[in-house]
Amino acid sequence: MYGWIYRHLPGPTPVRVLLALLLAAGVVTLLLFVVFPVVEPWVPLNDVTIRS
Amino acid sequence: MAGAADGDPVDEPAVGAPGGGLGPLRTDAPDPDADRPVVVVPGRPALVVPGRPAVVVPDPSAVVVPRPRGDDRAAPSVLSVPRPSRRRRVAGTTARALGELLITLGLLVALFLTYQLWITDLFQARSQSRLHDRLAESWHTPAAKAPAKPSQPPPATRPDPAVGQGFAVLHIPRLGDDYAPVVVEGVGEEQLQEGPGHYPGTAMPGETGNFVVSGHRTTYGKPFNRLDELHPGDPMVVEVADRYYVYRMTRSEVVAPDRIDVTDPVPERPGVAPKAAVMTMTTCHPKYSAKSRLIVFASLDKTVMKTPGGGVPFASGEA
Repeated sequence: MYGWIYRHLPGPTPVRVLLALLLAAGVVTLLLFVVFPVVEPWVPLNDVTIRS
Repeated sequence: MAGAADGDPVDEPAVGAPGGGLGPLRTDAPDPDADRPVVVVPGRPALVVPGRPAVVVPDPSAVVVPRPRGDDRAAPSVLSVPRPSRRRRVAGTTARALGELLITLGLLVALFLTYQLWITDLFQARSQSRLHDRLAESWHTPAAKAPAKPSQPPPATRPDPAVGQGFAVLHIPRLGDDYAPVVVEGVGEEQLQEGPGHYPGTAMPGETGNFVVSGHRTTYGKPFNRLDELHPGDPMVVEVADRYYVYRMTRSEVVAPDRIDVTDPVPERPGVAPKAAVMTMTTCHPKYSAKSRLIVFASLDKTVMKTPGGGVPFASGEA
């Protein structure tokens, strides 16, 4: 998968490396600030309250 | 052919190449393939070039064909390296895909931990700074007039916060001078992400009954992270608009998550009418787990009115 993506990036090697890094940064940002806050309530690591 | 078996094709002397000692070439015109050996493999049609030596090789994979250095895309030679079978290629692709999937899963888990342990702190810091600003704003425009009798403290106005609204600041001197999270109303997921949350329906600060607050232990600013470091007698100061309520820790315990009775007006005495103002703090226990709850109990010691220029009535670490 990673190889496939890299092979489909345009341009010479420096451009490809830059594009790959930008792509990775974009995915990480999306996960940290959009996906994880949404899925977090289903991960029961954070329950601090007392409920019957 | 010992060198061919150890996988070092470049430096291997060519079999039958010119100068290889197997006989000179006897061609008049320059042969474009002069540097290539002619190899006869048993079981394959022999390709014999007149004037060039033929070499019989028992194992085709053992043959090394020299190529001009620096040119990996030379025309395919007479001998091509045997391609792996289709089944082996499929197996290789599957193994690679599975490996990449597992690596991706590992990275996802690591990233989620990063999010939980550090990124949520950023969110909470932003919420807290907003809550502090709003609280300071509302406290600077008090509706209460000057007391009729200056010697008597004015009656407390009971805060009536909406869910999610900040209404008090918690100071625990043992946890440092800058420890001052704003307590919000409500213990839903959203409220606890902003700061310690007050259980709706339990007593307000200073009120007779049980003032119950929950807070995160390891994420979202971890306001209750060090609750286990408190000692009996430690002050816990709840600041409201015009005064400080000084509670003192009485004891702590670890209970199951369903022990709702710790939030009773008299903790762990269901149905008993309260006579004193107490405070109960709950958080998860052990750290990074939601298996049990750490409960810290405190009882109201005194009330200190705010004075201009006066700070929190206890210095760091002071008991």
